[in-house]
Amino acid sequence: MESGIDLQSSAIQLLVDLGLPSALAKVLWLPLPMALMLVVATVGVLIAVWLERKISAAVQQRYGPEYAGPLGVLQPVADGLKLLFKEDIVPDRADPWLFTIGPAIVVIPVFLSYLIVPFGQNLVVTDLGIGAFLWISLSSVTPIGLLMSGYSSNNKYALIGGLRAAAQSISYEIPLALSVLAIVMMSNSLSTIDIVNQQADHGILGWNIWRQPVGFIIFWISALAETERLPFDLPEAEEELVAGYQTEYTGMKFALFYLGSYVNLILSALLFSVFYLGGWSFPIPVNTLAAWIGVSPDVAWVQVITAAIGITMVLVKTYALVFLAILLRWTTPRVRIDQLLNLGWKFLLPVSLANLLITAGLKLAFPVAFGG
Amino acid sequence: MLKFLKQVGDYAKESFQAAKYIGQGLSVTFDHMRRRPVTVQYPYEKIIPSERYRGRIHFEFDKCIACEVCVRVCPINLPVVDWEFNKAQKKKQLNHYSIDFGVCIFCGNCVEYCPTNCLSMTEEYELSAYDRHELNYDNVALGRLPEKVTLDPMVTPLREFAYLPKGVMEPHDLPKGAQRAGKRPEDILEDLKQDKAAAAPVSDDKA
Repeated sequence: MESGIDLQSSAIQLLVDLGLPSALAKVLWLPLPMALMLVVATVGVLIAVWLERKISAAVQQRYGPEYAGPLGVLQPVADGLKLLFKEDIVPDRADPWLFTIGPAIVVIPVFLSYLIVPFGQNLVVTDLGIGAFLWISLSSVTPIGLLMSGYSSNNKYALIGGLRAAAQSISYEIPLALSVLAIVMMSNSLSTIDIVNQQADHGILGWNIWRQPVGFIIFWISALAETERLPFDLPEAEEELVAGYQTEYTGMKFALFYLGSYVNLILSALLFSVFYLGGWSFPIPVNTLAAWIGVSPDVAWVQVITAAIGITMVLVKTYALVFLAILLRWTTPRVRIDQLLNLGWKFLLPVSLANLLITAGLKLAFPVAFGG
Repeated sequence: MLKFLKQVGDYAKESFQAAKYIGQGLSVTFDHMRRRPVTVQYPYEKIIPSERYRGRIHFEFDKCIACEVCVRVCPINLPVVDWEFNKAQKKKQLNHYSIDFGVCIFCGNCVEYCPTNCLSMTEEYELSAYDRHELNYDNVALGRLPEKVTLDPMVTPLREFAYLPKGVMEPHDLPKGAQRAGKRPEDILEDLKQDKAAAAPVSDDKA
């Protein structure tokens, strides 16, 4: 596997050549990918919100936002600005500390999880050895924040919403972790980069979706439940719970929840494409294509094109999944809380366990196909 | 053991069926995305109300004979008829007449029963006000002619679905003079007359 473009080492090399000590160069480089990732996540949310509104409108034969910018693309920006300038209200007799910390605890882990999202061989903030595990452990911090804000709102709807969110997140985390574990077992690594590289060999045929046909369905269902998207949006079921744990929130704190839910959706879609759809790999391996044309994949311009194709592929896969989530939102009715827990504990958990066992057995039996 | 296997099989079958149904649902929602929006962009576009639309009530003061039939047929006795007996003319003389549209349910009973046809229903439905007492229309307000959607230069009037030409689904940009599907009421009346004229000599013979 060739290394491709390595922005980090070339940037540091550039700074060192300018006469800076290498330690200082590293420190100067460090915040750049983090800031870039924050911007990418936020812009991704704006796009997702716009898509959600436009696609929802199309499904219901409406126009959707039209007047803010061409095709209403500035509508999410306008929404965000509105929320930014709204009065920040803390309800009387709410617990002001928990009420304020709650949204932050929900949002921070989601943004932190972007550390491990790769857009290319070296286009990642850090290639952690425990990448997938980091994501799963960070996502289990979120229900604490939800419970906090639900409990501190001094509102029965918020409390029930918070409890439901906690119950839902905890029960769906297990099948999610088990389906990821099957992937991890096949690629012998928790690192997202290694997981993608293990799928990269045979183009579209090498993607994990063919080797984990059950796993990817479990992952998708659990991811929808984790992000509280519509068949599983019980915590904020507006017909019964007003808005769940968000009921008492306005202004920037509400915006944090809103942002968090969409960042989480995109994160889940990104990781789905990394785990099951081969991340940045093109349906036909780029190296094969380069070989057909007769160009060496190590030439600079080929590498730039490869990186561009990689980023585009990740985004295309991600937004295709976001589209599917939005379409599912208008297709499936909401499940009841008992159905939700039944599905989680009595269906997904045993099936994902069986999936893990079968994957282990197949790995022993066919080490070639299942990453021996 | 066999029973257990059967249970597992049934469960798997049900799961596949559920997946199939979700797939069917998805195909429906996906198909809806390529359909044209049905939105009427309200303040700029308005639907033309049908002839039998029951909007704000119009009242003609001079026709009213203060018989109070409208009050009696009204489900909540809403119209207020203020009259006094004119001894010289030996007639009821109407002083004021009012209907509170904040309470009216637009059932049209008063219009139906008015003996002198001084009440009628208009196509006006934009009755918003800052104060609910503003909706209590007196005889002057009731006597105002209704505003027509088609005459407002700011508004693009749109026809309702039933008033579109045959096969047309889209009310925007109809060609001028495009007629709705089927016969117009006056044509139907004309046809009826002709039918009657054609049938009349036959019935005479039999008699």
